[in-house]
Amino acid sequence: MGSRGLLLLKGAAPKHHIFNNTKGSIFSSKMPTRYYYYDYDYNNRTRNCSTTTTRSSLEPPDVPRLAQTARISLTPHEVEEFAPKIRQVIDWFGQLQDVDLDSVDPALRADSETGYLREDIPKTFKNRESMIAAVPSYDEPYIKVPKVLNKE
Amino acid sequence: MLSTLHHPPRRLSRFFPANNKPRHFHTKPVLSSSQPVTDQSPSSTSPPESQILSIRHSLLSREVTATQLAETYLSRLKLAEPQLKSFIHVSNNVLKEAQSIDDKIKRNENVGPLAGVLVGVKDNICTVDMPSTAGSRVLENYRPPFDATAVKKVKEFDGIVVGKTNLDEFGMGSTTESSSFQVTANPWDISRVPGGSSGGSAAAVSARQCVVSLGSDTGGSVRQPASFCGVVGLKPTYGRVSRYGLIAYASSLDVIGCFGSSVADTGILLSAISGHDRLDATSSKQVRVLQISVSQEVPDFTSQLISAALLESKPLKGLKVGVIRETLENGVDSGVKSTVLGAVSHLEELGCTLSEVSLPSFSLGLPAYYILASSESSSNLSRYDGVRYGNQAAAEDLNALYGDSRAKGFGSEVKMRILMGTYALSAGYYDAYYKRAQQVRTLIQKSFKTALDENDILISPAAPSAAYKIGEKKNDPLAMYSGDIMTVNVNLAGLPALVLPCGFVEGGPIGLPVGLQMIGAAFDEGKLLKVGHIFEQTLQGCRFVPPLIADGIPQ
Repeated sequence: MGSRGLLLLKGAAPKHHIFNNTKGSIFSSKMPTRYYYYDYDYNNRTRNCSTTTTRSSLEPPDVPRLAQTARISLTPHEVEEFAPKIRQVIDWFGQLQDVDLDSVDPALRADSETGYLREDIPKTFKNRESMIAAVPSYDEPYIKVPKVLNKE
Repeated sequence: MLSTLHHPPRRLSRFFPANNKPRHFHTKPVLSSSQPVTDQSPSSTSPPESQILSIRHSLLSREVTATQLAETYLSRLKLAEPQLKSFIHVSNNVLKEAQSIDDKIKRNENVGPLAGVLVGVKDNICTVDMPSTAGSRVLENYRPPFDATAVKKVKEFDGIVVGKTNLDEFGMGSTTESSSFQVTANPWDISRVPGGSSGGSAAAVSARQCVVSLGSDTGGSVRQPASFCGVVGLKPTYGRVSRYGLIAYASSLDVIGCFGSSVADTGILLSAISGHDRLDATSSKQVRVLQISVSQEVPDFTSQLISAALLESKPLKGLKVGVIRETLENGVDSGVKSTVLGAVSHLEELGCTLSEVSLPSFSLGLPAYYILASSESSSNLSRYDGVRYGNQAAAEDLNALYGDSRAKGFGSEVKMRILMGTYALSAGYYDAYYKRAQQVRTLIQKSFKTALDENDILISPAAPSAAYKIGEKKNDPLAMYSGDIMTVNVNLAGLPALVLPCGFVEGGPIGLPVGLQMIGAAFDEGKLLKVGHIFEQTLQGCRFVPPLIADGIPQ
């Protein structure tokens, strides 16, 4: 599901507006960074009257929807169990919204050397049989799956 | 032997800063009568020796055979296993492999530097002839078609993989309780967790079920269990060790690390598995290689470690050590704090110049780490869909097959982290979470760089507490996550860090070990190992052998 999983995420843009103020409704990846700070200031003022740190600018996690996106069938009991925990952690993640990160470049990984990509030449994997033996449902030369299309 | 001390160092008098509780040293451990433990007389508090070098010496001088050694370890492993549950799988080939080493020795052939050394391998590191489950039902009974590069190197050096050790599912946890198969106990007190996620590897070395072991460290998964189990744990620089065959959790952070019962053993294992690998584009070709080498017939580790005579006074004179202020503030157990301050005094005694350093962005590292790790895990774990390998659920259509296979295969913690990561990576949220966390990573990298420009190494506790009870934090994710505060920043910066036991706090039958973390500049593992070795060899009054050991330790 590798790359497809990522595509799904990209395609899974929430239908609702990200910001609940009018400025925020144009939220997109092209939005200038300083918008955050505008929003942050705005939030900070509203947050003064409450000690809880609900991030009004971002919708809280909708667990059933996330589970659908991540392709994990959750039981109602799991949704009930996970939702408060996930919300608690996401809320805790939100503290980074309060940090001034203007003009700080993101770091993709540790600051070590990269660029040792090997030449793009196909090589035959020797232990092919063992790899095929791990396939749950195999019908030479195909990997079998149930029907892909669903009428709904 | 490198670790023999001819001249015991003078007693350290300045161990206790005025306002701190004394350390709880156990020169005469109170033994539980049900546990047969040998060699626990006060004189046995001599510093740890390299088991690897000692095994090599015994084999080459024909004092003992690899088969005899393997039998000793296997019987101890089996005796301890019902209580500890360190291993998910024990190899059936140990004695056969030991026999082939004995045959080589008989024929006067060269044997590799890890000949006869039993190595435990964390079960998220692929082994071709054994299951590799990552502690997850989704990979139950999965046998990879290849060895991880680190495992391949261990085998090439004649090491014997003794089995696959237990872990939190996919490395997601700090206690080893979220393994889908079993809960591992801490050898110092079996009612406590061994730490995690490499809890099985740490417990196995602590209880001498194997000589050394491999673990993986995404946010502290080698260092925190090393601290909890009283063993040495090393997280190498990002890029030092190939991750080919390491089951990916968070690729921008994951490294393979080492456990040993001495700094020397940990260093020897690291040098065995280090180096560039064409199958991992992030593995380094760094010429500033480890100063230790095992590529020759006899490891020349000894030449790099300070000989006994030099230990007499100030062997670390001039070494600049920065104590990270934020790691000794509120939230750190008072016993841990005083033990680490004792270690600070010890470093001063050895000649180091100590100073306090501040990493202002330190506390931001924790949420940044969890955003990055859960986001990357949601992407990495999308491969477990039940189609090409792993367990498949019966389903009517493909989407249900994905959803049900993953629902049945993953445990709660993994599901929650995937969902959190899915949230953080959702379109429109990416800049607010993932990108921000990456920006915090830049701040952390810069602050470490500044601190390490001014200091040779930085030190902190390895964890804010000693091992806690099984079940204590299981249902409170934030309480569990906060225990990783000492270690996650090092992963964000990609730096190497060595954890070694430095004392005890009260708890369990004879006390609980406390780990000191030493952080170095990128690719400066050699310095960490040297400092760690001197620290370990001169530490007085501590012997890090847990009560749960089924018989004597071959020295």
